[in-house]
Amino acid sequence: MKLATIGVGNAGSKIVDRMVEFESETNRNLCRHVHAINTARTDLAKPEYIPEEQRVLVGDTNQKSKGHGVGGDVEVGAEVMSADIDEIRRAFDDIEIHNVDAILVAAGLGGGTGSGGGPVVIDALQDMYDEPVYALGVLPGEYEGGRPALNGARSLQSFVNKVDNFIAFDNDAWRAREQTIEEGYEEMNRELASRIVTLLAAGETDETDVAENAMDSSDIIRTLAAEGVSSMGYAATAVDTQPEGLLDRWGGGTDDDSLDDASQATKIKSLVRRATNSRLTLPCGVSTAERVLVVLSGPPGEFSRKGIESARQWLEDETDTVEVLVGDDPREGSSRLAAAVLLSNVSGAQRIETLQNQAVDAQEQIAEQEAAREAKIENLITDENDDIDPVV
Amino acid sequence: MRLALIGVGGAGGRVVDAIRAVEAPECRQLCDGNVLTVDISRTGSDEHDHVPRERQVTVGDTRRGVEDGAAGDQDLAVDVVRADAPEIRRALDSITMRDLNGVLVVAGLGGGTGGGAGAVLVERLQQLYDDPVYVLGVLPAADEGGHAALNAARSLRSVVPAADSTLLFDNDLWVGPDADTDERYARANRELAARTVALFARSDPGPRSIGANTIDSSDIVRTLSPGGVASVGRATTELDTGGGLLSLLRSLLPGSHGGDDSDERTDAGKIQRLVGRATNSRLTLPCEVSSVERALVVLSGPPDELSRRGFESARRWLEDETDTVEVLAGDDPRPGSSTVAATVLLSNVTAVPRIDSMQRQAVDHERTDETLRAVDEPD
Ligand SMILES: Nc1nc2c(ncn2[C@@H]2O[C@H](COP(=O)(O)OP(=O)(O)OP(=O)(O)O)[C@@H](O)[C@H]2O)c(=O)[nH]1
Ligand SMILES: Nc1nc2c(ncn2[C@@H]2O[C@H](COP(=O)(O)OP(=O)(O)OP(=O)(O)O)[C@@H](O)[C@H]2O)c(=O)[nH]1
Ligand SMILES: [Mg+2]
Ligand SMILES: [Mg+2]
Repeated sequence: MKLATIGVGNAGSKIVDRMVEFESETNRNLCRHVHAINTARTDLAKPEYIPEEQRVLVGDTNQKSKGHGVGGDVEVGAEVMSADIDEIRRAFDDIEIHNVDAILVAAGLGGGTGSGGGPVVIDALQDMYDEPVYALGVLPGEYEGGRPALNGARSLQSFVNKVDNFIAFDNDAWRAREQTIEEGYEEMNRELASRIVTLLAAGETDETDVAENAMDSSDIIRTLAAEGVSSMGYAATAVDTQPEGLLDRWGGGTDDDSLDDASQATKIKSLVRRATNSRLTLPCGVSTAERVLVVLSGPPGEFSRKGIESARQWLEDETDTVEVLVGDDPREGSSRLAAAVLLSNVSGAQRIETLQNQAVDAQEQIAEQEAAREAKIENLITDENDDIDPVV
Repeated sequence: MRLALIGVGGAGGRVVDAIRAVEAPECRQLCDGNVLTVDISRTGSDEHDHVPRERQVTVGDTRRGVEDGAAGDQDLAVDVVRADAPEIRRALDSITMRDLNGVLVVAGLGGGTGGGAGAVLVERLQQLYDDPVYVLGVLPAADEGGHAALNAARSLRSVVPAADSTLLFDNDLWVGPDADTDERYARANRELAARTVALFARSDPGPRSIGANTIDSSDIVRTLSPGGVASVGRATTELDTGGGLLSLLRSLLPGSHGGDDSDERTDAGKIQRLVGRATNSRLTLPCEVSSVERALVVLSGPPDELSRRGFESARRWLEDETDTVEVLAGDDPRPGSSTVAATVLLSNVTAVPRIDSMQRQAVDHERTDETLRAVDEPD
């Protein structure tokens, strides 16, 4: 499909940047239009692939931001974005809408700009265009603490209510150990980018390289039309052009003629199974999905019809739904075979529940502290018997 | 972030001068030349090396009672700055607030000028500007006596409610008791200046030095927005650059792996210890950390040394320690730097033993004063 992709805030912009990087490295052409929108001038200088003129600084004349972010305050994020909505709409006027199938808004939900400003941007897009608007939203990790959790839980509601589908990424699930701060985020963003691009770039090829089972943008839109919160899985394997290699790897040992086909079918099915059982962008029960879409991407010679069919059957059983689409995305000359799985409208994700609990606790604590604030300050600067007078 | 710097009184001027001295060589601009010192004195003076002469304002030179300052008389100092308000106002016009994020008023609260004129100035600046007005206040050491304590206690009552936040520096902790006066203040001022710059000033970053979570001025403003009193902690650790004699010797020991002890676990532990040190032992104003309302921590150093796990556990530790969910954490990559530093801002601390004891000292002093006066003027 063809996308207009918009990153809001720091995390959102970095993720869009990585999506464009992944596309250009793999010769895909998904994002026909990109924008990075932020309240922080410094963060906007960071992307490597988003053209300078596609970066929008908002709120630089706003007293509360002045081009320096919104300090993790969702209210200010929303306020600053709303105040500059005309400028944003003007930027969106550039989207050649006849040339895109859908719009994707990426944002981190734990801060202020993406979290508070994202929903404002989505409102404008929904209002301007008939095309579906999806979100790619990052849930803050539990380790980030109470305030990001509160921002995230509140913002999640707004996002889910406003978008046609919310594709979630849970920072908690993707935390790796031996990393620097920079590497940690970079790695997560690359993992996320490869998943979303592999999934959505299917059926985007302009050339008539149409395979029998080729995925179409309307298939993707149909799967995402389930609304709610979605999660993605992914698995890839190197494609060996040597038949011996295949035999070795798949453990077949006979000279059977149908072996190649059979082993290719097994390969596809096991790849789809691996992708489904892989670490999901939002860990959740696979069987809770309402609709499922699988994109197989790789050299067309690898697409075994039998494999695709049995993968589909396996998924139907596994997810307990008949709304399973498995399609392919032929990439001539690619050295990898990848399966990207979209579990649309899942429920019961543990992290969302813990996030909400964390948010409730945080909200209570913040309210308590605010209520006691004035008295505590007064008490600090006043001596026990109030003998000391102020100087002015 | 960019702040106009306004030093009031002797201490205020000297600390501002010290801040200007660290700003320049580190290329971390805090005030962009928007600097002013205000003092009460009989003689116009030019005592600061890093503040241009025309930015050093002296008022009250014709007032009775003014010699070298208000000599600890806060009420006199208040009168003087009120009378000379137009002159100060003119001097303030040289500051361009448009490109700044706020104002930082620096003053020794135990002084007549710093504590008295400082309080008046903070009120004025709040009327003049929409941006936050912060105070960097120096508390007198206990051994300076009751009068300085009384001045500071009175001044706190005016300054804290008027300012958007009051960062305090306790001379009792930071100024050694027995060294030569000039040098011991100079050392304390350098320390205070280094912290102020580390907290507020960011270097203009190239793409390589933009953090994954850059602390921007809005983050600092939000952390300080509850008002009240704030304290700043900082700790640094020198990196073992590997070429030292010690690591060479260690690498020769049997069973060693070339002195390589910088595995992931020690990195993470190192960062957590660093933040712990910054919070617990090196605060500008010692306080009960659990009474904090909001906190912020910035970790700076070469990007390769900033362990993600260390950063996360340090942040979490700070959240537990301060017992608040409002903890912002940021990284500040400095490629090529040989140190890793943690700077911690504790905002709205409300349990501060040092302020309590200063208030007691002030009350005692006031009582003795009254008794003396009663003896002086028997009716
Ligand atoms: N996966 C991922 N998450 C990130 C990244 N950077 C930040 N985050 C997450 O996104 C949340 C929001 O952070 P930012 O995007 O920096 O915040 P912002 O939207 O720019 O808002 P303000 O900084 O408050 O103006 C954080 O709580 C993190 O959970 C990133 O590079 N990758
Ligand atoms: N850290 C630090 N503290 C100082 C310095 N100079 C003075 N102090 C402290 O600040 C308090 C006020 O002293 P000054 O600043 O000299 O007084 P002033 O504000 O000029 O007021 P008057 O001279 O009384 O009008 C003293 O009681 C000391 O506690 C300094 O250079 N550094
Ligand atoms: Mg930010
Ligand atoms: Mg003086």
